[in-house]
Amino acid sequence: MTARACAIALVILVAGAGAAGADENKDLDLIPEGARQSAASSTEAPTTNDAGQRIYVENAVTLASRRNGLLVPFPPPPTFHWQDRLFLDVRKQWSPADRVKLTYSGRLNVRAEDDLSSPSHENVIHDLREAYAGWEPLDGTYIDVGRINLKSGVALGYNPTDFFKTRAVVEPLSADPTALREDRLGTVMVQGQHIGQGGALTAAFAPRVSSASSIYTNTNLPSFDPMFDRTNAQNRFLLKSSVDIAEGFSPELLLYREGSQTRLGANLTSSVSQSVVAYLEWAGGRRASLIDDALRFGRNTGTLPSDAPSVLPEDSHRSFQSELSVGASYTTATKITFNFEYHFNQAGFSRADWNNWFGAGRDSGASSPVARELWFIRSYALDQQQQLSRHGLFLRADWTDAFVPRLQLTGFVNTDLYDGSSLVQLGADYHLSNTWTVGATVVGNFGGRHSDFGSLPQAASFLVKIARYF
Amino acid sequence: MSRSTILASRVVALGLAATFAGIAYAQTAQEIVEQTDKVRNPTQPFRSTLTLTEYVGGKERDHDTLVVFSKTDSATRQFRNLIQYVEPARDAGKSVLLDGRSLWFFDPASKASVRISPQQRLIGQAAIGDVLTVNLAVDYTASLIGTEKIEDASRQQKECWHLDLKAANDQAVYNRVEYWVERESFHPIKGKFYSDSGRVLKIIYYRNFAERLGGIRPTEAIIIDAVDTSLATSATFGDYRFQDIPDAWFQRDYLPRLQTK
Repeated sequence: MTARACAIALVILVAGAGAAGADENKDLDLIPEGARQSAASSTEAPTTNDAGQRIYVENAVTLASRRNGLLVPFPPPPTFHWQDRLFLDVRKQWSPADRVKLTYSGRLNVRAEDDLSSPSHENVIHDLREAYAGWEPLDGTYIDVGRINLKSGVALGYNPTDFFKTRAVVEPLSADPTALREDRLGTVMVQGQHIGQGGALTAAFAPRVSSASSIYTNTNLPSFDPMFDRTNAQNRFLLKSSVDIAEGFSPELLLYREGSQTRLGANLTSSVSQSVVAYLEWAGGRRASLIDDALRFGRNTGTLPSDAPSVLPEDSHRSFQSELSVGASYTTATKITFNFEYHFNQAGFSRADWNNWFGAGRDSGASSPVARELWFIRSYALDQQQQLSRHGLFLRADWTDAFVPRLQLTGFVNTDLYDGSSLVQLGADYHLSNTWTVGATVVGNFGGRHSDFGSLPQAASFLVKIARYF
Repeated sequence: MSRSTILASRVVALGLAATFAGIAYAQTAQEIVEQTDKVRNPTQPFRSTLTLTEYVGGKERDHDTLVVFSKTDSATRQFRNLIQYVEPARDAGKSVLLDGRSLWFFDPASKASVRISPQQRLIGQAAIGDVLTVNLAVDYTASLIGTEKIEDASRQQKECWHLDLKAANDQAVYNRVEYWVERESFHPIKGKFYSDSGRVLKIIYYRNFAERLGGIRPTEAIIIDAVDTSLATSATFGDYRFQDIPDAWFQRDYLPRLQTK
């Protein structure tokens, strides 16, 4: 190569490098006009907001359609046609002293329904979700006293190890399991927890401070009452521990005692790939069937006559019964997360139980004791947050920034594997700004007359809402 | 000596110098990234407040505020992050644990902790806090492409090392990163983050260098969504402070206890 050729080659190389730099500079045109000036002045101006509080006001209007020609008639009063709820929702923490924390979480509802007389005390309801004091006497050791929402479980659609969920859900606006966890009462308890480097240990004792009450409906809720009869009608004790066994693998084991019953539980999760997380949640212990539990509860609380036999076969025999949620989440590059779960409740309805349920109620009148007892069993399962059927499938999809930024679409299907009937819910939330959100939800119960969801008195409902955050 | 001989000898000398310099750079590309990691973030545990301003179509749309607790894992040399939302108000108190394979999201409204996948952690603004604190030298293998003059976010010419970073383990969020680092100062100037398919996903410009926690560090980053270029985010780090962060904080059970005040 001649010297001239070498020189030309070098010039071309240098010129090429310059062109690459010039190409890179085109990316600067993508910086928005408003961001072209340095934000130096804001670097030392921390926000005045507090992560320890969330306060918002929401108004939600629900329209519901009833199903005609039910195979087992629904006892009066019927479900509402329309409802309007305006509520103030507050969650706030204070730190009055070093290592001391006070927490309040509650919701003040003003509501109107076609099945409520107005004005009445039913129009105003306060849900006291949490009110407790926390103290950290030693680093990593905590003691909490008061009404606390203590939750457990790694599954999304059904949580067998969430032992304090029973009777705690109040007036939910959505059937979405994630919403059900928000609208629930805590339990009065003393909780101790130690969080160390290799795991955590939690012990909680919830004393009996009230006797059990009948199941509430939307027309007999007290206005200002903490409803300890729902959450503290038994002495309850929970011990749970999680241990870091390997990187990213820390199973949680639980021991729970309620009255004379003991249950065990376990929560396992594993990151399978970049996009998939698998999880398993199990609980088991000696207990009676769901039907037998419901009948005993109904008789003890006076809802069902104590001396009359059930229209369904009774079996007070107790055996070891399991509940299971096993599933996986999968997230796409387009910001959609799918959860797919199989649910099992050994104490729940078998195919024979379903046939007995429909057979016993087929020719009954809506106000008959038979219909009342049969529907009481189903309302008991709902009140206990227990899956009614033994086998179920759950699929949920959550799409963040769907089509446009700030639009969130959520949908789920809960299917009874015996008859293929399903509860389907689709929802959309759009954040107009950092403080305003509007949303809509459609819920439908699909299936034949002789099926789990197809036999429910409500066929579908539609909700619109607007919320203002402070 | 003829003019052509002089020219040839100069060209050869220049070529040799460039060659040796190239070898030197090739040996130190990883060190350049390591040095730049130290410029971006201190090695001691610290907390900071990240203010995010989102732009859509060139117009300012939203403000988000996150508090980020960061600590280097002595075993992996990678940052472990705890991130809590302060703004918007609807998300206040939501927290994310980003610690290697242990990724959890906690919502104080439902009081539920949900394990998330590496893909899922990219959803939401907390991912920005994570991307800005990541030690690139740990998750990527660097090689030097060359030196270039490019303009920084303030349109000032900067003499930069142009580096090519390839994912070195499955913890790397992006498959490849192109990285421009100012020579001598090791200031990060620009990064381009690629997907597995070779598509540019994000372009980040670092700017507003200032004295923070014992070093001159970028306190602002402009993050451009290269897939939808109408979207961009300005991320400003403020309220920097060293803070003792116990290792016990980096687990799921601590998320409900995390407090920013």
